[in-house]
Amino acid sequence: LLQKKSDVYSVEDLWDKRSRKTDIGDEEEKYKDLKGNKKKRRQKTLRKKWRTFYSLSFSLSFGIQDDHKLSASELEEKYGTSVNKGLSSARAAEILARDGPNSLTPPKATPEIVKFLKQMVGGFSILLWIGAVFSWISFGIQLAQGAESPFDNLYLGVVLALVVILTGIFAYYQEAKSTNIMASFSKMIPQQALVIRDAEKKELPADQLVVGDIVEIKGGDRIPADIRLIFTQGCKVDNSSLTGESEPQSRSCDFTHENPLETRNIAFYSTTCVEGTATGIVINTGDRTVIGRIASLTSGVGNEKTPIAIEIEHFVYLVAGVAISIGVLFFIISVSMRYKILDSIIFLIGIIVANVPEGLLATVTVSLSLTAKRMAKKNCLVKNLEAVETLGSTSIICSDKTGTLTQNRMTVAHLWFDNQIYSADTSEDQTTQPFDQSSPSWTALSKIVTLCNRAEFRPGQENLPIMKRVVVGDASETALLKFAEVILGDVMSIRARNRKVAEIPFNSTNKFQLSIHETDDPNDKRFLLVMKGAPERILERCSTIMINGKEEPLDSEKAEAFQTAYMELGGLGERVLGFCHLYLPEDEFPDTYPFDTDSMNFPTSNLCFVGLLSMIDPPRSTVPDAVSKCRSAGIKVIMVTGDHPITAKAIAKSVGIISATSETVEDIAKRLNIPVEQVNRREATAAVVNGMELKDMSLQQLDEILCNHSEIVFARTSPQQKLIIVEGCQRQGAVVAVTGDGVNDSPALKKADIGIAMGIAGSDAAKNAADMVLLDDNFASIVTGVEEGRLIFDNLKKTIAYTLTKNIAELCPFLIYIIASIPMPIGTITILFIDLGTDIIPSVALAYEKAESDIMNRRPRNKRKDRLVNEQLAVYSYLQIGIMQSVGAFITYFTVYAEQGFLPSTLLGVRVDWENNAINDFEDSYGQQWTKYQRMYLQWTGYTAFFVSITIQQVADLIIRKTRRNSIFQQGLFRNKVIWVGIFSQIGIALILTYGLGHVTALNFTPLRFQYWFVAVPFAILIWVYDEVRKLFIRRYPGSWWDKNMYY
Amino acid sequence: MATLNEKKTCSERMENFRRFVWNPETRLFMGRTLINWVWISLYYLAFYVVMSGLFALSIYSLMRTMNPYEPDYQDQLKSPGVTLRPDVYGDRGLQIYYNVSDNKTWEGLVTTLRTFLAAYTPAAQRLNINCTSDTYFIQDTFDGPNKTKLSCKFTSDMLQNCSGITDPTFGFPEGSPCFIIKMNRIIKFFPGNGTAPRVDCTYVGDESRPLEVDYYPMNGTFNLHYFPYYGKKANFKTSFLNCYSNPLVAVKFLNITRNVEVKIVCKVIGAGITFDNVHDPYEGKTLLKNTCKE
Repeated sequence: LLQKKSDVYSVEDLWDKRSRKTDIGDEEEKYKDLKGNKKKRRQKTLRKKWRTFYSLSFSLSFGIQDDHKLSASELEEKYGTSVNKGLSSARAAEILARDGPNSLTPPKATPEIVKFLKQMVGGFSILLWIGAVFSWISFGIQLAQGAESPFDNLYLGVVLALVVILTGIFAYYQEAKSTNIMASFSKMIPQQALVIRDAEKKELPADQLVVGDIVEIKGGDRIPADIRLIFTQGCKVDNSSLTGESEPQSRSCDFTHENPLETRNIAFYSTTCVEGTATGIVINTGDRTVIGRIASLTSGVGNEKTPIAIEIEHFVYLVAGVAISIGVLFFIISVSMRYKILDSIIFLIGIIVANVPEGLLATVTVSLSLTAKRMAKKNCLVKNLEAVETLGSTSIICSDKTGTLTQNRMTVAHLWFDNQIYSADTSEDQTTQPFDQSSPSWTALSKIVTLCNRAEFRPGQENLPIMKRVVVGDASETALLKFAEVILGDVMSIRARNRKVAEIPFNSTNKFQLSIHETDDPNDKRFLLVMKGAPERILERCSTIMINGKEEPLDSEKAEAFQTAYMELGGLGERVLGFCHLYLPEDEFPDTYPFDTDSMNFPTSNLCFVGLLSMIDPPRSTVPDAVSKCRSAGIKVIMVTGDHPITAKAIAKSVGIISATSETVEDIAKRLNIPVEQVNRREATAAVVNGMELKDMSLQQLDEILCNHSEIVFARTSPQQKLIIVEGCQRQGAVVAVTGDGVNDSPALKKADIGIAMGIAGSDAAKNAADMVLLDDNFASIVTGVEEGRLIFDNLKKTIAYTLTKNIAELCPFLIYIIASIPMPIGTITILFIDLGTDIIPSVALAYEKAESDIMNRRPRNKRKDRLVNEQLAVYSYLQIGIMQSVGAFITYFTVYAEQGFLPSTLLGVRVDWENNAINDFEDSYGQQWTKYQRMYLQWTGYTAFFVSITIQQVADLIIRKTRRNSIFQQGLFRNKVIWVGIFSQIGIALILTYGLGHVTALNFTPLRFQYWFVAVPFAILIWVYDEVRKLFIRRYPGSWWDKNMYY
Repeated sequence: MATLNEKKTCSERMENFRRFVWNPETRLFMGRTLINWVWISLYYLAFYVVMSGLFALSIYSLMRTMNPYEPDYQDQLKSPGVTLRPDVYGDRGLQIYYNVSDNKTWEGLVTTLRTFLAAYTPAAQRLNINCTSDTYFIQDTFDGPNKTKLSCKFTSDMLQNCSGITDPTFGFPEGSPCFIIKMNRIIKFFPGNGTAPRVDCTYVGDESRPLEVDYYPMNGTFNLHYFPYYGKKANFKTSFLNCYSNPLVAVKFLNITRNVEVKIVCKVIGAGITFDNVHDPYEGKTLLKNTCKE
């Protein structure tokens, strides 16, 4: 309990425990150094215990020492280095030997042999091993007794062992194949780092870095280790992979925050430097870096069993339970019926073999991998086969915003000019913009947009669609450039015609960007000054405003209109920019005027305000549809983002995560004009939860939110909070899918029932932790995945029902053989030929079955109630269809014997004489006499007949299993072509076994008279008709007794 | 997730099971209400009654198609099996072991032979007719009593020295034992294609001297008038009276090698009788291992 508690709380009070942990960490280090190896072991176990107690918090926090608080000289002293000279090579080598290379230890992989052996003992394998061992034991006993043909049992044992080994190899191969796909992801290009050593700058592989090294980084570099910065120049880092903040963070040498994660003077391993340069001292390398800790945190979060694994386990228990109880029951019966113990053991083996669907687990694997392939085509790459189904049972999706729900690129969404708001097209492949472009104000605005912009297309992309071209420049400028390019055409040539004479780039103090251009009108010798920036700053500099192409004085009324528009656009969560211009008078600013951007020898006030443009990272066009599909499929979509609540809410509204009609508590308060506290929280269906609020919440409060609101957006959340949210959802009993891309997401991805990493934007760590990779980063692909997952669950039900049915037809012969002492109707080897021969392809074919109804219109399955193999399925397959099959097969059996001279009445109770080697004149019903071998040959003919009948009736079984509720005629007999491949293969294999291998006595097949193939056909038809009637009643009387008992 | 994966203690499991068997709150017995159990039982009862009916109907119609006199197919009885009396089988087939001087070792064998021949006494054979022709006894009509077909008499005295009448010990004490060879019945089987099939016994393997055998009846033949067999219904048979009895051939081994196990094969030679089936040691022949001690 203690451990669990600490798990839950640990992340929250992570930082509070930090200092304490640090001490412990340091102390441990010292301890190790002083006391040497002997103590080490104790230390290790101690640490292990410690770790389990504080699993999450511990690993994250220690390791970042107080380095951010120390000055440069203190650091030099601490690490024995020099800022100017760096470490000596010898010292570096020493430290490298002590600390090991600066790289993350890959997660400990299970050895291949262990994986392989696991496949050998998993599932039904144990039962079959028992069967094999029993066979060998009875072989041994028979051999010791000097019996005539003991080798049958030896062979049977070998065959059973082979079956286990082959299915094991198959499963192992399948698993290895899916692992290999992922292996390609984790390959990283070796990284180089610029290091000062021996007072020289050297380019070294990043994994050679040691603590105390002085490294230099510049824009575009990946930070090679955790670095305490000692010199920076305009340095910004992208910490998004670590913290989820999408804005680049500026770095300096100053200690700004107690928390090492927040302070500005530390740059973290694996983040990227976006711009500027910096020099720093390496303070942590390899697994001791923050990222390294998170990676070990990830391995600390246990891998949950997938729902389908639980289902299959449940099913295996069920079948094994049936097998063992029937086996033991009949063992007791046969012993008490005075059978020899040895015989009873052989019966037991037969019963086990008949009961165990040997081929089923392999079939399930194949079905899952077929679905995985289908999903890969739809851009869902499944790493773990079982995750295929998990997606189908998902009831909550916690989705990232940026990139998953949105296009991950700023796009112009709205414009404001002439006192009017226009909306722009924000779809992925815009080619035109439909808003009114006739106003002269637009002409002016478009000119500013085009000219006051430093972004440029990379050359050589003329053939690409505008939206796909790569741009050099920041997100907003890129948006503006593309926007202009779409409407005006070749922006670069417009810029060339309006030569730029001066420019002030954007900076955070001015909050504007300015440039001065010649005009493209040869008669107009004036210069054009264009400016864009934060709307309020721009407005301050304006005295006039352009309305319908005319400059009008900016009075309070017009300023009011501007404010309203600005607020409205801001309220949509959009980033708003203001644009203004000024034509410089020709007399004051002649052709040769020397513009100086430092002294600003030109006017920067009393400009003419032209308009506003607002930008947003727009939702992907497929997302709203996908979200509504999720909704009808009963899946709750929760948005978890690091973005601002307003932006988050706006996007949530536009994609339908918050539906148009629902309100948050704040909305209700605003509408009713009452304080937030007075609002009945139950009335609000939607909730936007800020990360800061979440921090102060108790688990109960979080549960309450997750429970009471159907539409939830978490904004400004930290990656650690994501884990809390996932755990909260799981406490509700939900199957949670989580999307993520950053390294910081990996614990949440691992914790989730199914972690979904982004294929394009995702980091390797995220992809490693995830169960699935979205190749196109598109939320809509998840929905396709859900659909496939649900379909495979339904189809696996069908496959299992199909496979289980014939088990009864295989089992009954043994039971009746024991009780009625008739000649053995079917042999153990023959059973294996059904289970692993004729039945395999048909059961895989069921995986191709189309959905019976709109599977996206029903709720996700309740993992506690909607089992893969439920009572109805087992009972209907075993006790109804299975019995019919048995009857059909027995009729064939009796027909074969009768027509050869043994009428049914003669057969009862003959077992002992029949199997007696000493009786070679066994009399049949007609008085003819048979030798032992002649009887055996007849018995094999009986096996073959039984086998053929089961095969024929399995065709009917296959057809009825196509649907569970609909009529076969509704579903269409020919829509799933693979079923027919299955049927033909089934009959083909049976034909080959019977006529092709009918002369190989070891296989116990004989060339059967052709008419016996048709004896069971009436029963096959009966099965079909009966099942149609069953389905008809289910459809007619939903909810009735029949529906409850007959629908599986 | 956690709740689903939690390991339950044994007592919790027992408690869960108890609740499953009888849940007092929902009044569910093994997951169903009692009335529900009644309904489902009734349904299954009806289902199985119908299935049994179908099974019975199928078997009934199968029986209706059966010819009462002969089976539809005899493809698996192409060649008759051959058996030998006394039939003492060990782990490796017929193994006859006796000590000439110890009558306990062969008394059992003699009894077996006597019991076997009891069905061939004149009393047991009284319903059969005496046949003299050496051709197949073909009957197209039912001439016997109760619409049956007639069979030829085979009495044990036809076996002469091996009949047990002249020598009640069947030659065992002398070390020249009698064995009786019988060919299995197959309906409407005509062995020999007009010539009577005969028994031929030889050593198997590297026995240097030839086996001297006396055959009874003469030449060790099965007289053709015992064929064909018309089946149990046609050749009327009760438990105490055989109407049709398989003809027999007795073999008396005169110079059997003493004190070692010898392998002897007795083949029935005649057209239509094959003895080369590698899988079946008793089809058209019988293999025997004999150890005769002194």
